[in-house]
Amino acid sequence: MATVHLQANHAAYTDGARKLEVHGATVGAVVDELAARFAGLGPLLREGSSVAIDGELQPKGTIYAAVAPDAEIHFLAPISGG
Amino acid sequence: MMNRTHVHCTVNGDEVDLLASDDTSLLDALRDELGLSSVKEGCGTGDCGACSITVDGALNCSCLMFAPEAEGRSIGTVEGIAQGDHLHPLQETFLEGAALQCGICTPGFLVAAKVLLDENPSPTETEIRYALAGNLCRCTGYDKIIHAVQEAAVQLSTSNGASK
Amino acid sequence: MTATEKPSAKYKYIGTRPVRHDGLDKVIGKARFAADLDLTGQLRGVMVRSPHAHAKILSIDTSTAEAMPGVKAVVTGADFPVIDPTDSTHDEAINNIARDEVLYNGHTVAAVAATTIAEARAAAAAVKVEYEVLPAVLSIDESLADGAPIANSTNRTLFTRDTEPSNIASVGPFQRGDVEAGFAAADVVVERTFTTKAVHQGYIEPHACVADVGQDGKATIWASSQGHFAVRSKTAAILGWGTDKIKVTPAEIGGGFGGKTTIYLEPIAVLLSQKAARPVKIVMTREEVLRATGPAPASKIHIKMGATNEGELTTIQGTLHYSNGSAKGYAALTGAMSIASYRFPNLDLMAIGTVDNTPKSAAYRAPSAPQAAFAIETLIDEIANELDMDPIDLRLKNAVVEGDPTAMGAPHPKIGFVETLQAIKDSEHYNSPVPDGVGRGFGTGFWFNIGEQSSATVNLNEDGTATVITGSPDIGGSRASMALMAAEELGLDVHSITPIVADTESVGFTDITEGSRATFATGMAVVNACRELIEQMTQRAAVMRGVDVDQVAWIDGAAIIEGPPSEGAEPLTIKEITGAAKMTGGPLTATASLNAAGAGPSFAAHLADVKVDEETGEVTILRYTAAQDAGTAIHPSYVEGQMQGGSAQGIGWALNEEYIYSGDGVMQNAGFLDYRMPVASDLPMIETIIVEVPNPSHPYGVRGVGETGIVPPIGTLANAIAAATGVRMSELPMSPPNVLKALNEK
Repeated sequence: MATVHLQANHAAYTDGARKLEVHGATVGAVVDELAARFAGLGPLLREGSSVAIDGELQPKGTIYAAVAPDAEIHFLAPISGG
Repeated sequence: MMNRTHVHCTVNGDEVDLLASDDTSLLDALRDELGLSSVKEGCGTGDCGACSITVDGALNCSCLMFAPEAEGRSIGTVEGIAQGDHLHPLQETFLEGAALQCGICTPGFLVAAKVLLDENPSPTETEIRYALAGNLCRCTGYDKIIHAVQEAAVQLSTSNGASK
Repeated sequence: MTATEKPSAKYKYIGTRPVRHDGLDKVIGKARFAADLDLTGQLRGVMVRSPHAHAKILSIDTSTAEAMPGVKAVVTGADFPVIDPTDSTHDEAINNIARDEVLYNGHTVAAVAATTIAEARAAAAAVKVEYEVLPAVLSIDESLADGAPIANSTNRTLFTRDTEPSNIASVGPFQRGDVEAGFAAADVVVERTFTTKAVHQGYIEPHACVADVGQDGKATIWASSQGHFAVRSKTAAILGWGTDKIKVTPAEIGGGFGGKTTIYLEPIAVLLSQKAARPVKIVMTREEVLRATGPAPASKIHIKMGATNEGELTTIQGTLHYSNGSAKGYAALTGAMSIASYRFPNLDLMAIGTVDNTPKSAAYRAPSAPQAAFAIETLIDEIANELDMDPIDLRLKNAVVEGDPTAMGAPHPKIGFVETLQAIKDSEHYNSPVPDGVGRGFGTGFWFNIGEQSSATVNLNEDGTATVITGSPDIGGSRASMALMAAEELGLDVHSITPIVADTESVGFTDITEGSRATFATGMAVVNACRELIEQMTQRAAVMRGVDVDQVAWIDGAAIIEGPPSEGAEPLTIKEITGAAKMTGGPLTATASLNAAGAGPSFAAHLADVKVDEETGEVTILRYTAAQDAGTAIHPSYVEGQMQGGSAQGIGWALNEEYIYSGDGVMQNAGFLDYRMPVASDLPMIETIIVEVPNPSHPYGVRGVGETGIVPPIGTLANAIAAATGVRMSELPMSPPNVLKALNEK
């Protein structure tokens, strides 16, 4: 099971839980499971977050990146710039 | 619709005739009637210098003049600074010294800097900064612009000295 | 620094300073910015704008305007498709033109296109709008007050499940460790509230566009923008059109700094053009730019910080309020996340974004970071003073390195903060004595930098020259850097390479030039396209020499053949290969595209010497040094330019710039005379030190540099003023009246 770290703003949808164990072979599968478990979290993760897998920031918007069984996944708030 | 006045003047050494309403700025007349798009409107109130021109050799904001005021005068824009395909040293030092980024303020700076160097061939850094204080730049922080003017002053004085 | 400086030993072209390819046109006045373009038969468009900060639109009567001389089209909000408030396009669509509710003074309610600008302005003045004025909310405090009127009736708080209208745009808590325990164990605790005003990006070129809709229903737009693909997609989304029906050509852009990553004109220009069946040109006046385009957010930031006597910064707690203006955003979250330079094992930050009846805020170079850095860098300076520790040493002791956590929890990649701090510590400025009566201040900054999507096409021309085609509008000299990277990859002289920025039909999708991404991400695409070209040329060389492709090596810009039958033959140059391309398989061209990951953060450290006139409150900067980690400086002049430009903007933000509002929400200083940005006589030379800690995720080690430079100046100057006067400024700008006030309260 991958360990997912959520930001505090995600926690509003998970009754405060910030660290979760989630199944999924890809980022997309992990997001799907989280979306199914917590109403309202899906859109925020899909559109509003970047992802880091084991500390490596993924290209923004990617859902197909592979997730190893013991991976640490961070969902990060969006940053753009000016 | 306002009456259009016939204005006859010299622009960059060429005699021109144009029609402009009495309430048209010289900035708009230069751009719209003569196609001299180097003069830019950054503010329209004489505060940014992007519309800088020379009027009988003196530095002016073209947004603060009405087109009919150009009658009989000699107007200079950046298009007249180079000699054919021979760039003025200021134009060269601006390029070599990366003294421009977006380039919107560059025509105004070149006009103002040329007026300065024509009047004061060896300005101090402070004199350059105050002479150019009427030209706003938001990209460069002015550092490379000042260096470029200093370098051009050196080049101009060297070539002047050599020709004596 | 001149264009003839020698490159580093590592690279042949990277690190040199060729004259930029677009430079000549810019010094002879030939460069075309959006307002310089004229199409035959074009009309001029003018907006009708709300005089009220907050009102309901009861009715709009355009009949008089429509009948006036020269008027060919009029549009109002009702001409645009309705977009649901939960749709991500909604806020930007409403910001372009109001429907039922105007949200700030200057909000567009209608637009007119006529044959001359004078006719358009006269007709715009004749549009009759009936308003019901509503109470306006004009500041963070007003937004948060009990019983405050709701500034924007469609706003619901992001990142919560609240469904009631609210003046809270977004909330974001960030926590790690135990702040209670941290403060209890701290030897030094400092605490302060910092307030900053809205400031504008201040680009000298007002927004401008020309839109031309043909009889086939296709729109061609020339726009001043940091991202023409975004102009296309946002215009398409607001109008409900397919993106294939919109072509956008980027004009040269006269400054953006984040303020031109959003759109204000194009959907209206397109609709006017469609209605009138003629091109429509819209150019904002400076007053419109200041009154109605998005500034950087005002902020109110309260921070409490704790440290041990040994100088370990252990604990940080606080609330960061940022105003998003008239619509939701997450500026406050970004501000909290930008606090990423020091380890702070115990952290508890609450980010709260507010909504009010001022213009919808927009990005400005490292958005939200300068406001937070003002607070953080001031408090760290206070701790350094209390502990009698050198301010750079204190930061060195706490500086994040690779693996340390960011506010988001993920670890920092390889970064150069320590090296950048050291660069100032080693600098001539730092090691020079502080003159009498002068205060010296130090501050630092950080920006994440982003990657995102870029495409590039590289064409090898028949004569061995190359054209590099990208879709990143050039706001700082990036074209030159694309040519340098291509030169390095191909082994081709940089002067034989022409870089261009192509329109949305001539290059693959490319994200906005923002987030310091162009040299990093678009550069990667250019490099990848060049590598594919090398593959192609290797194959052609094999054909030309009659050998196996495995026998061909690409070295120093030429194909070397190894092994019989052609061993010892002359290398094949690019010119020879391109000259024979027709006979070996056809044109040599390659395209690469990517969604770039691994953008490396860039850290900066600044040092300032100031003199404060205690009679007038005027702050004069005598000396200024900026150090920043560029990873690898592809074109050092343009890296220096970004550092100097960012510094000047931060200095203006610190010392003089602010939005001044009347009690009824009308901006009082909507012009460059009273919105006072730094001029040449306000600044000294800005010395630059480029630090290079290469980013392992980029083929040449590039880190974006465009943004971080604006982050340190405010804290740096506040600390210098404190050193000079003993007074800690906590309110921006540190303009003469505000400095005098603080001196008198001492």
